[in-house]
Amino acid sequence: MTSSPSETEAGQAEGVDQAEEVEQADHPLQGFADEVAEAVGGTAEITFDTVKIKVSAGDWVKAHQTARDQLDLVFFSFLSAIDWAKEVEVGDPLKDEDFEERIEMLTTVSDLSAGMRVTFSADLPTEKPVIDSLVGVYAGADWHEREAAEMFGIDFSGHPNLAALYLPDAFEGNPLRKSFPLLSREVKPWPGKVDVEGMPEDQSSEQSDEPSTENPEA
Amino acid sequence: MVIDADTLRHMSEASVSVELETEDMTLNIGPQHPSTHGVLRLVARVDGERVYDVKPVIGYMHRGYEKLSEVRTYPQITALLNRIDWVSGYANEIPFMVAAEKLMELEVPDRAQYIRLILTEMARISSHMVFMASYPLELGAATPLFFALRERERLLDLLESVTGGRFHPNFNRIGGVKPAYGSGSTTRKWIQDLPAGFFEETTQAMVRIREAVDQLEDLVAGNEIILARTKGIGVLPPEVGAAFGVSGPNLRASGVKFDLRRAENYLPYDKFDFEIPTGANGDCWDRWKVRLDEIRQSCLIIEQAVAGIPSGPLQAKVPKVIKVPAGETYVRAENPKGEMGYYLVSDGGGGPYRLKIRSASFSNISILPWALEGVLVPDIIAIMGSLDFVLGDVDR
Repeated sequence: MTSSPSETEAGQAEGVDQAEEVEQADHPLQGFADEVAEAVGGTAEITFDTVKIKVSAGDWVKAHQTARDQLDLVFFSFLSAIDWAKEVEVGDPLKDEDFEERIEMLTTVSDLSAGMRVTFSADLPTEKPVIDSLVGVYAGADWHEREAAEMFGIDFSGHPNLAALYLPDAFEGNPLRKSFPLLSREVKPWPGKVDVEGMPEDQSSEQSDEPSTENPEA
Repeated sequence: MVIDADTLRHMSEASVSVELETEDMTLNIGPQHPSTHGVLRLVARVDGERVYDVKPVIGYMHRGYEKLSEVRTYPQITALLNRIDWVSGYANEIPFMVAAEKLMELEVPDRAQYIRLILTEMARISSHMVFMASYPLELGAATPLFFALRERERLLDLLESVTGGRFHPNFNRIGGVKPAYGSGSTTRKWIQDLPAGFFEETTQAMVRIREAVDQLEDLVAGNEIILARTKGIGVLPPEVGAAFGVSGPNLRASGVKFDLRRAENYLPYDKFDFEIPTGANGDCWDRWKVRLDEIRQSCLIIEQAVAGIPSGPLQAKVPKVIKVPAGETYVRAENPKGEMGYYLVSDGGGGPYRLKIRSASFSNISILPWALEGVLVPDIIAIMGSLDFVLGDVDR
């Protein structure tokens, strides 16, 4: 991942040359990223002006505690996850197939003065992901974890009430998993590869067209 | 006897603190309730007028935008984003556009940036005007509604004259904004951009809005009942708010001088002079006052932007089919209701691999169980209303 200087971030990105790995040290956020990484015991990466700190799943709560107490990152922005999957039901599969299947946890916390923010990341197995709950560190993690639990099937151990937040109680499946189909696209792929589509029943013989986010004119 | 806020509160405290054998009752408030701006259900356990605990039940408006974004192209997604917080639809598009442009390493022309900034501030004023209209209404004062909505309507007319839409402008394009009324190539016809007379009308509108804000302040700040219902009610300490992720005017009312327009660089706010209003006590009254002052500051910003807008193209050179290079980033912006952010993961295709939508109202109302514990039943409405949430922004 290369760092990205852009005019909208002129204040932060000035003096950074167009982006080779070597020049990452020049990124104005590099010092801050290294400081955080050292404090929480993770590895730092700057991806397009976002400081991303990778920690092990076991250090998840400890890292956030350090961030809150020592680094003054008191504001809890969000918690969510990414499903890195090779088989996708919805959307386009990743172009680069050389990656490890996993659930990547994400949180972002920030301070309330200079606006420094850090995105923490930890990898969990795709099957039965479990991680410790952050509710004791950031109270706001409560609802975010409930959402991630129902959407990705992640178990947060130590969460006081991991009930469904959005979905009905009887709902089965984890909608934001890549393996979860999107029903409306099953019935009628849209936007399809051609501009004019027949009705679903007319197409039953030629249903092989995969739904794609690609523009038909591409 | 002078009836001020304190006396009233003591009177109401006294009337419920008599020792009696009482029974808990579970009270369902909503999903349809005039004060909820959408469909929110509260399950409250009450003993007489005292609330023991409250469980908000959300999800009635869950539309699954994060999933839907994975099957759409970048230009298509803005149509969804407008509908997250429909009271300030335009402002929702900005952080997403900036995130995509960051991954594409695009330079947005100055004029487009200024237009984005003017329209974002208009969205902020119109969102705060809805609050100015609805909040006193929830507390029983109907008159401010007419003052606030009348001015908002004029602002929406301006927004419509540029974008063609009052609530769902869908006006941003990757690399800039869409030329108003224009068709065809955005780079060729850049002269045909904003409608004639837009700047004059905007300047006049700002004068009227300032007048309306003064009138609103007279009407509401001089009303003893409103003062009694809001002062000292629903006090939110800043450290609690921060841990819950409460942001925007709600956090600033608790005395935190933090505004993403200053802390982040998603639009050229560094070129403008404006203050960040904060409150002292973090009660319902401060949350109302901070929003009122923010309208005045937004007027200042718009006037400066109108005076200093550069000429030039409205869109950077972009390919006909938008493909965003692989990478991930988080971009957040100061929306009228607080921090709105998008964590965008692209793999180089025409649509995102994953789009996490961080909406302000979701975190803002996650504090309700904490804030409503131990309050009186009528204060539920005063506190909820003062947090200024929209259910579309909660459920996404």
